Amino acid sequence: MTDTYPGAARVGIGGPVGSGKTALIEQIVPRVIKRGIEVGVITNDLVTQEDAQRLKRSGLIDPERVIAVETGACPHTAIREDPSLNIHEANVLEDTFENLDLILIESGGDNLASTFSLALVDYWLFVIDVAGGDDIPRKRGPGVVLSDLLVINKTDLAPYVGADVDLMVREAKAVRGEKPLYLTNCRTGEGVDAVLEQVLHDALVARSPK
Amino acid sequence: MRATRRHAYTLTKGAADLLVLNEIIGQAGDPDISRRLHELDHLGKIEYITFSKEDALRHRVRVVTDHGTECAVVLRRSARIVDGAVLLLDDDRAIVTRLSERNWLSLVPRDIAAALELGYQAGNNHWTVRFDGPVMRIAVEGPERNYLDRLAAFFSDRRVTRIDDGR
Repeated sequence: MTDTYPGAARVGIGGPVGSGKTALIEQIVPRVIKRGIEVGVITNDLVTQEDAQRLKRSGLIDPERVIAVETGACPHTAIREDPSLNIHEANVLEDTFENLDLILIESGGDNLASTFSLALVDYWLFVIDVAGGDDIPRKRGPGVVLSDLLVINKTDLAPYVGADVDLMVREAKAVRGEKPLYLTNCRTGEGVDAVLEQVLHDALVARSPK
Repeated sequence: MRATRRHAYTLTKGAADLLVLNEIIGQAGDPDISRRLHELDHLGKIEYITFSKEDALRHRVRVVTDHGTECAVVLRRSARIVDGAVLLLDDDRAIVTRLSERNWLSLVPRDIAAALELGYQAGNNHWTVRFDGPVMRIAVEGPERNYLDRLAAFFSDRRVTRIDDGR
């Protein structure tokens, strides 16, 4: 199926500090590159470019394809109330790298109320982890409830932090309805293939001719 | 103005059977389009896609028309889905968008103190609100229960009353 190129799909990745957003991106990037999908990344940090530097040093992606946004204030402001800075940087990536197929936009680490503006992204994921507490889903934070796809990460840590993963899944399904959720261990990559398949499917990621 | 690139692309995942809708042809109310839609309507050949106000902001989304046609809406960033946007128009079929009405939670605070506290609560939750005289309306996104639970303390001591005034 071919048609007029509409620009890159823009996919947001949000979630609390330390939940594994950057680790998930580090797992997704080599997988999409292997599939021939042209990818760029925008990271949001409060007052540093820590996550962008981590990705640039990783060797997983051309450093030129990684752009850092320093939000300077509440991270959710830059992805929801006024996403203009991120929209601008996404446009810059598209203009710089012709045929870009996918732009991943990582929010700064935030709380459970964090959500993405659909003026910025076509689709967004919210990443929580078992070490944050297995009561997170039933607290019904907007990120957990409203995200298109929920990732429960660090499942390998569950026995060490006393988290009941089955409970998290049941309660997440109760507050999210039919919307997808996946369990991952982003250190090993376990579960990431399923996340990627869902994103490519739902966000209608297109692959340009090279 | 950003450069316009026009070249072929291929949807990657399970999209082979989808009808790709990648432009807004015009509005249902445009005179020429309206005339053609009128003719197709008599033949039962207009299909509608209903978007919520939130989902209408998306530029890529899988949807199903009211006739059951599975579609991939893939629009350029400059495009904006509004009520009555025509995404397909040919001799055999038209596909037109509808925007569903937003659900508003209408609340009346008992006094100024309750109004201040309710306003703080709404702002702290980043809820979208509008004001209509003494009524504050909160745009409900997702399950309504999530809002009612967070406002439970206001209702329990009657600092705030929910009304249904048909708006």
